[in-house]
Amino acid sequence: MLDEVLPRLRVHVAGSAPARQTPARRFWRVFRRNRAAVVSLCALIVTSIIGPSAVLVFAINPEAMSADVLSPPSLGHPMGSDYLGRDVLGRVLHGINTSLLVGAAVALTATGIGLALGTVAGYRGGWFDHAIMRVADALLIIPTFFLVLSIAFVFGGSLASVVVLLGVTMWPPVARIVRGEVLSLREEAFVLSARALGLSDTKIMFREILPSTLPPGIAMIALLGSAGILTEASLSFLGVGDPNVVSLGQMLTNGLEYTTTAWWVPSFPGAAIFALVLLMNVLGDGLNAALSPRMWGR
Amino acid sequence: MYRYVVTRVAQSALLLVLVVSLSFLFIRLAPGDPVTYLYGSQQLSAEVLTNIRHEWGLDRPLWQQYWAYVQNVLRGNLGYSQINQQSVTPLLRAIVPNTLLLMAPSILIAAGIGVLLGVAAARRVNRWWDYSIGALSLIGYSTPPFWLGIIFIVTFASRLRWLPTQGMATLGADHRGLAGVLDVARHMALPTGVLVWWYLAAFARLTRASMLEESAKPYLVTARMKGLPERQVVYRHALRNAAKPILTILGLQLGTMLAGAVMTEVVFAWPGMGRVLFTAIIQHDYPVVLGIFMLVGTVVVLTNLTVDLLYLIVDPRIRYA
Repeated sequence: MLDEVLPRLRVHVAGSAPARQTPARRFWRVFRRNRAAVVSLCALIVTSIIGPSAVLVFAINPEAMSADVLSPPSLGHPMGSDYLGRDVLGRVLHGINTSLLVGAAVALTATGIGLALGTVAGYRGGWFDHAIMRVADALLIIPTFFLVLSIAFVFGGSLASVVVLLGVTMWPPVARIVRGEVLSLREEAFVLSARALGLSDTKIMFREILPSTLPPGIAMIALLGSAGILTEASLSFLGVGDPNVVSLGQMLTNGLEYTTTAWWVPSFPGAAIFALVLLMNVLGDGLNAALSPRMWGR
Repeated sequence: MYRYVVTRVAQSALLLVLVVSLSFLFIRLAPGDPVTYLYGSQQLSAEVLTNIRHEWGLDRPLWQQYWAYVQNVLRGNLGYSQINQQSVTPLLRAIVPNTLLLMAPSILIAAGIGVLLGVAAARRVNRWWDYSIGALSLIGYSTPPFWLGIIFIVTFASRLRWLPTQGMATLGADHRGLAGVLDVARHMALPTGVLVWWYLAAFARLTRASMLEESAKPYLVTARMKGLPERQVVYRHALRNAAKPILTILGLQLGTMLAGAVMTEVVFAWPGMGRVLFTAIIQHDYPVVLGIFMLVGTVVVLTNLTVDLLYLIVDPRIRYA
C-alpha cells in the first residue's frame, strides 16, 4: 500500500516546489508508471480507430451471405465463416464497434449521473442527501443484472434503452465517492468565500466544487465501461439484446450450437469480448490508482 | 444496536416490497394481457373475452389486483406459465436445486483457493507473487463465463473427449447408486470449472485488499510482539478481521455470481435456472422470467440481511458501536 501512496506524496512535495504541476501532469506522472494500463489505453485507442475505419474502408456488410457455409479460418475468412456463410471477422469488427460504443455510453451516463447526484447530495445534505443515498444503497443490494434483464425483456431492449438502463443502475459507486469529497470540500475557504461573494448554490456546486471532485469522480470510468460491455454482452447472450444491431453476445449465442462442429463461430466473438473487457479493466485499475486519493476495494 | 437491527430489517422489507411491486408493474405493462395471450388466436367474441377477464379479476381496480398479487406471492404462488401449462413455483422448485448443486461447490472451492491466493498476495505486496496473482485475478474476472465455457467444451470435450459437455446426466444410463453420482460429477466438472475460475478472481482480489487494510493495524504488532508464529498472526488474527468486508462485498455480489451461473448453465445445457430463463426469454414467457427475478431479488436481499445480522453476533465491536 505504501507504494501506492508514496508516489502521490512525492508528487505533492513536487507540487509545492516552484515549478507547479497541473492536475493533468500529476495524473500522468502516476498513471504512466502502470505500464500495463498505458499499453491498454493505446490498444483501446487503436481499436476504436481501426474498428470503424476498417468497416468503412472495406465496406464490410455484416449480413453479406455466401455459399461458403461454416468454413474454417482461412486467408479468405481469417476467422472462418458462420452458418449463413457470413464472414466472422467482419461481424466481429462490427460487434467490437457496438461494444465500444456501449461501454463508452454506459460509462459516461453512469459517471455523469453519479457526479451530479453526488455533488448535490453532498452539498445540500438533508432529506435530498438521505434520499439519494438510500436509492444508491437499494441499487447496490438489488441484483441489477436481473432487474435490467427483466425490464429489457418486458419492454424490448433497443441498444439505446439498454445503455440508459445500465447507466441508470450503475451510478451509485461514483455518487458515493463524489459525495464524500464534497462533504469535506464544503467547508473549505474557497467555498465559503464564493458564498460570501453571493454566488448561487448551483454555481458554487458546479463551478467551484465539481472541478475538484472530478478526478476521483471519473476514476471509475473505465471500470464502469468494462462492466457495461460485459453486461450488454451477457444480456444479448441471454436473448434480450437489440436484434437490429450486430453484437458480440448475440453472435456467441447464435453460434452456441456449432461449438463442437465449428468452434470458430462462437469462439472469436467471445475472445473479442474478453479482450475488450480485459483491456478496459487493466486501464481502469491504472486510472483508479492515478485519480483516487485512496484505494477503494472492488 | 437495536436501532441498527430495526433499520436493516426495515430496509430489507422495503426492498422486498420494491421487488414484488416492480414484478407486478412489469407483468401488467407487458404487451398483451393473459386473456389475449391465451385465447387471442381463437375466434372468440369480445363479450366472451370480457367475461373471462371479469372472471379472472382483470377488470378490477389496479390496487385490488396488486393486493391479490401480493397475497399470492406471500403464499408462495409466483404466477402461472401459460406456455408451460404449469405454475411457476413448482417449476422453479424443480430446477433451483440443480443451480445450487453447481454454485455451492464452485463457491466453496473458489473461496478456499481465492482466500489463500489473496493472503499470499497481501503478504508479498508489489513483489513477483503479488503481481502474478493480481494479473491472474484481473484475467479471471474479465473472462465472460459463457465464453470460457465454450473454450472448455472445445478443448476438453470435442478435442480431448475427456468429459461430457451437455446436461446433467448421460441419457439412458443407470442413474442409481454410485455410478449415477459419478455420472453427475463428470457432467459437473466443466461448468464448475468455469464458475470456480470466475469466482476465484473476486475472492482473491477482495481478500488482498481487505488483508492490506488490516496489515497496518496495531493488534498485529501486538500479536507479533507476543512471539506468535507468523502463520498464526496472519490466519488467526488478520484474516479473521479481514473476513467481514470480504463477506459483505460477496453478499452484494451474489446477484452477479448468480448471473454467471445462469450463463454457464446455458452453455452446458445444465437443467437449472439459467436454462429455464433462457428458454422463457425465447418463448416470451413473462411469468417465468419475472418469477426468477423475484426469486433472485428475494434471495439476494435476505442473504445480505443475514450476513449483516450474523456479524452482529460474531463481532462484538459492531454490537456496541
